[in-house]
Amino acid sequence: MDAGLLEQMLLGALLALSVYLPLRCGQLSLATPGFYAVGGYVAALLSTGVPAFAGTGATSPLPALLVEMVLAGALAGLIALAIGGPVLRLRGIYLAIATIALVEILRVINLNLPFTGGAMGIFGIPQPFAQPEGYVAFTLALLALACWLCQRLEALRLGRAMAAIRDDELAAACVGIDTPHTKLIAFVASALLAGVTGAVAAHFFNSWNARAGSFDASITTLAFVVFGGSRLWPGPVLGGLLLTALPELLRPVGDLRLILFGAVILLGPLFFPQGLVTAERLQRLQTLAALLPRRRGAPLAP
Amino acid sequence: MSLLQVEGVSCRFGGLQALAGVSLEVREGEIFGLIGPNGAGKTTLFNVISGLTRPSGGRCLWRGRPMQGMGPAAINRLGIARTFQNLRLFESLTALENVLVGLHHAAGAPLPGALLGSGSFRRRQGRLKEQALELLERLELAPLADQRAGELAYGDRRRLEIARALATAPQLLLLDEPAAGMNPAEKEELRLLIGRIRDHFALSVLIIEHHVPLMMQLCGRLAVLNFGERIALGSPAEVRRDPRVIEAYLGGQP
Repeated sequence: MDAGLLEQMLLGALLALSVYLPLRCGQLSLATPGFYAVGGYVAALLSTGVPAFAGTGATSPLPALLVEMVLAGALAGLIALAIGGPVLRLRGIYLAIATIALVEILRVINLNLPFTGGAMGIFGIPQPFAQPEGYVAFTLALLALACWLCQRLEALRLGRAMAAIRDDELAAACVGIDTPHTKLIAFVASALLAGVTGAVAAHFFNSWNARAGSFDASITTLAFVVFGGSRLWPGPVLGGLLLTALPELLRPVGDLRLILFGAVILLGPLFFPQGLVTAERLQRLQTLAALLPRRRGAPLAP
Repeated sequence: MSLLQVEGVSCRFGGLQALAGVSLEVREGEIFGLIGPNGAGKTTLFNVISGLTRPSGGRCLWRGRPMQGMGPAAINRLGIARTFQNLRLFESLTALENVLVGLHHAAGAPLPGALLGSGSFRRRQGRLKEQALELLERLELAPLADQRAGELAYGDRRRLEIARALATAPQLLLLDEPAAGMNPAEKEELRLLIGRIRDHFALSVLIIEHHVPLMMQLCGRLAVLNFGERIALGSPAEVRRDPRVIEAYLGGQP
């Protein structure tokens, strides 16, 4: 497979995890692409405007990328922190609409700020990696870290509190869980992850403009989670990987590809209403995996 | 000494006066009953006490301190836990996890150790799990620890909600119709269970229940609500003789 496509798939998986985090405590936030765009602009502006970040010659220094990621995550997180208080008072579809509005506001701001290059955006973002494979390895490590954090969440009281809020917010409050605080943590973590992902993506795509954070992108990232499954973290990861790859893999069929892509998105929830990954299917997979080496190891008694 | 004082609490929803100047007081260690016909305002009073509904008049005091403006989480931290008339469990979590959520504030651990699964974090988690299992054991739910709450039988769900409430270490337990839908034998078991819980955890209980004979046996004192007003208060014997109570339950003279 082409390393460039693989990199896009990994970025898709990271964005899907960013949508998953608030959903894990029942908050349908579509703000991920907004924070992703902001993170990308932070990296693009720093690495094209600040000599220390731009580096010399063909490649920009890797430590600069790490600093950009920290700053991009911090800015996205701060925006989420500032608006999270009022926005998270909304529930369900109202929260979704408010976060769509947020994405639009960020898009218009990004489009009109004097230093973001208007509709053309920012070009010639220097590359920390000479080859796409470098990006793939780096993003894979980032995705692994994000997955590991999501997995650890299951063992933490924060993870349990989030699940409790998802199941019944009122009952969670009545057992002493600070529900606004917990929801805010999930929202900020989601923004942080999207911002960090944007910083990597800006370098990878070489240019960055306001289209990175659009309403379309909100829907696409939501489709990752709906398709893959929103209950367990492998769901969004799988959804992000598959649905990012699909339009590219369907390229040979020409104009039909968008129709087929739409059909897959439509049929996915019809046949897998809970998404591809559910606790039951994961468990079945685990029992299968546990059976395999035994069969290979000890010979069966006659 | 009085644990909870309800002072002239009123609650109005549009044209409906759900509570009209209700006062009562729950003392330390007692089982206090709240009875009254459907729609009398019993659950509304629970919602006011647990911070889910803001009263339009009056106030509640916890150990003499006003609880005004406190949300449900803060009120739970004071030491008031509740169950719900129409069961509100965390359905996708197991019975054990439901109780662990109740232990939220006992479960705090330093983040680095928690993330890396350090020895001290795992030992702490082990202790928490033991504590949760002990609570399940006490409510005869231990064999069901790993079942999802949503898949439990009705009576088990009722008891699981009590276990979850107890996990928050309350000094006052609010039970909203815990015997609803139970047969006479189960009701009798529940009565004994509530008594045992009160003794073992040294807490007070404020209980709403329709089954009057059960309440007469269980409660030290009773308040009777009708159309949002407290029409009687006293020992079961006093309440039983009260003419206004008889009128509310059996209808007045024509």
